[in-house]
Amino acid sequence: MTKKTAFWIFLLGTISSAVLFLAATWDTQRQVATLSNVDKLSEQVVAGKRAFEKYNCNDCHTILGFGGYYAPDLTRVVQRIGADGIRYRVKNPEKAFANSWRKMPNLRVSDAEVEDLVAFFTWVGEINNNDWPPQDSKKRLSRGEQAMVATVGVSPGAAVFQTKGCMNCHSFKGTGGTFGPAMDTVGKKLSQEQIARYVRDPKGVNPKSMMPPQKELSDRELEEVAKFLSNLK
Amino acid sequence: MEYRSQKIAYWYFASALPLFVLQVFLGLYLATSYTFTVPQSVVDVFSFATARAMHTNLLVLWMLLGFMGGAYYIVPEETKSEIYSTGLAYFQLVALLVTGVVALVGFFFGWTQGRPLLEIPRPLDLVVVVGALIFLFNIGMTMLKANRWTVIQGTLLGGLVFLALLYLFGIPFYRNEVIDWYYWWWVIHLWVEGAWELVTGAILAFILMKLTGVDRQVVEKWLYVEIGLFMFTGIAGTGHHYYWIGAPRYWLWIGGIFSALEPLPILLMVIDTMMHVKERKTQIVNPLVWTYAIGCAIFHMIGAGVWGFAHTLPQINYYTHGSQVTVSHGHLAFFGAYALLNLTTFYFAMPKIKGIEVFDDRRGKYGFWTMNVAMMIMGLTFGVAGVLQTYVERVLGMGYMTAQSYMRLWMGVTMTAGVFFLIGLLTTVTDLLTIRPAKSKA
Repeated sequence: MTKKTAFWIFLLGTISSAVLFLAATWDTQRQVATLSNVDKLSEQVVAGKRAFEKYNCNDCHTILGFGGYYAPDLTRVVQRIGADGIRYRVKNPEKAFANSWRKMPNLRVSDAEVEDLVAFFTWVGEINNNDWPPQDSKKRLSRGEQAMVATVGVSPGAAVFQTKGCMNCHSFKGTGGTFGPAMDTVGKKLSQEQIARYVRDPKGVNPKSMMPPQKELSDRELEEVAKFLSNLK
Repeated sequence: MEYRSQKIAYWYFASALPLFVLQVFLGLYLATSYTFTVPQSVVDVFSFATARAMHTNLLVLWMLLGFMGGAYYIVPEETKSEIYSTGLAYFQLVALLVTGVVALVGFFFGWTQGRPLLEIPRPLDLVVVVGALIFLFNIGMTMLKANRWTVIQGTLLGGLVFLALLYLFGIPFYRNEVIDWYYWWWVIHLWVEGAWELVTGAILAFILMKLTGVDRQVVEKWLYVEIGLFMFTGIAGTGHHYYWIGAPRYWLWIGGIFSALEPLPILLMVIDTMMHVKERKTQIVNPLVWTYAIGCAIFHMIGAGVWGFAHTLPQINYYTHGSQVTVSHGHLAFFGAYALLNLTTFYFAMPKIKGIEVFDDRRGKYGFWTMNVAMMIMGLTFGVAGVLQTYVERVLGMGYMTAQSYMRLWMGVTMTAGVFFLIGLLTTVTDLLTIRPAKSKA
């Protein structure tokens, strides 16, 4: 190989890759409007993005998987903990994370900014991003549930409890979140029917409840998880 | 040192080193935050986010200073002329350092652009741009005036111009989060897998040519092939960051295919480094410089090539994206490709600038091995934590904090390895700043 051939390898390699990349960039710019629901990208969403940047949230949390890895991903945070869950954690992190071994700073975010943030996360949560992240994917987790029932031999209700994000807040035998009460003996206090009603509409049962209503559970899943929990005594 | 203006490089290197040390101190704070509970009162004042902004910006700052110093050292020898303006070079160094310090202090008080790695506030971005323009003007004028073009010079200048241009895409405010990340990667990815590789390729080629005495025609021929492959795989390879951001589905194909090829140019770099070393026409004068150059090529291959490939395919990346697996890759790749490259340059140039032909490398050897072993362990333990996170959080869906509690032990081991890394680094920095001639055996 001569130096001249080497030069042509360099030139053609660079140009072909750059042409492909720029063409795809042009097309992406066009398609992102649909994929990210630009029609719903309101001024409040943009204000939320500005607040998100102002407080440097992204250097602890990831969003769309990018950022610091020190705190949970925020892509589907609204689906996971609800708007109230976001408000509570941002406004009172010292209370929300009192029992957690990892803390979140209180950045004195104003009420208006919290609402902007909620709008921003709501919009981000609806981006069509090939069903990422897997832990919040309805599709993948039902497959995970099936696999757990089949291979580990847990009851269907236990699989629902583990895979539908209940453990983000509740714990069982010391594993899980610390927001909500531990579930180890919940069956002593509540029956299967009471649990099922509470999970669907927590505020309807107890107006002070912090728990987001679990609207996305199927009836079968609700029945199974309530049965599982009511047997924990 | 053949030209007086090469001395400029010394001050760039000497300024970069303390920043590297500071970067590692902040890294230890981050690892501590993963292992122990940092109390609410401390977190409210000095959060993980602030420390991370400092950790990453210090990395960029010291490495850019290293590259610039490298350019100021190489360009006089390549063009056989003095740098166009020594005054401008020193002015630019001071301007960059002041900007850096203001930015770091600003982060502490919450003055930030709030986008990871691009936290430097927009007004300061302008100072950075002016600094970069002065630098490019100075280097460009030196080359133009000398008019003795070589492939090494061209690659270096091309890489530096590309680097500066890409920075501009990180400055605007983007209303759409998807578009924001799309262009964020033009800075981050096209830097480390594009522009920086060009600069690295040029610097390494120069050092190898000087060390081994291999013919320029041979070195430059391989340089062309290397940078050609870097550009071919790297530009379209940006697609591996577009899988899950809300970009069209074809990015899974473009990103997957091109980034699967990304280890090739790095492998070629290892092979041609080994080849040049084998066919050397000179004596090995300072063995430590050779160790660094070969270490850089191999660690570059492991960190960027192997670790990058390991989680670049969409089927795997779906589960590992945004986990500690990324952190593991980031540390090994940055250290292997760019920290070692800079340290190779420092060990090559700093003794020469001081007029030391053969230097005493006993301390330096300890530094090299301590850092390399410690970083390799960190890469592995971050990796174990990442695989645990992937399985517990993503596959089983057991929640973020549940996964973090399983990872805690491994982050503790990482922190311990980090302490050893710091010891190795302090040894290296002390050695570089107080480098002494070897006692002659005669």
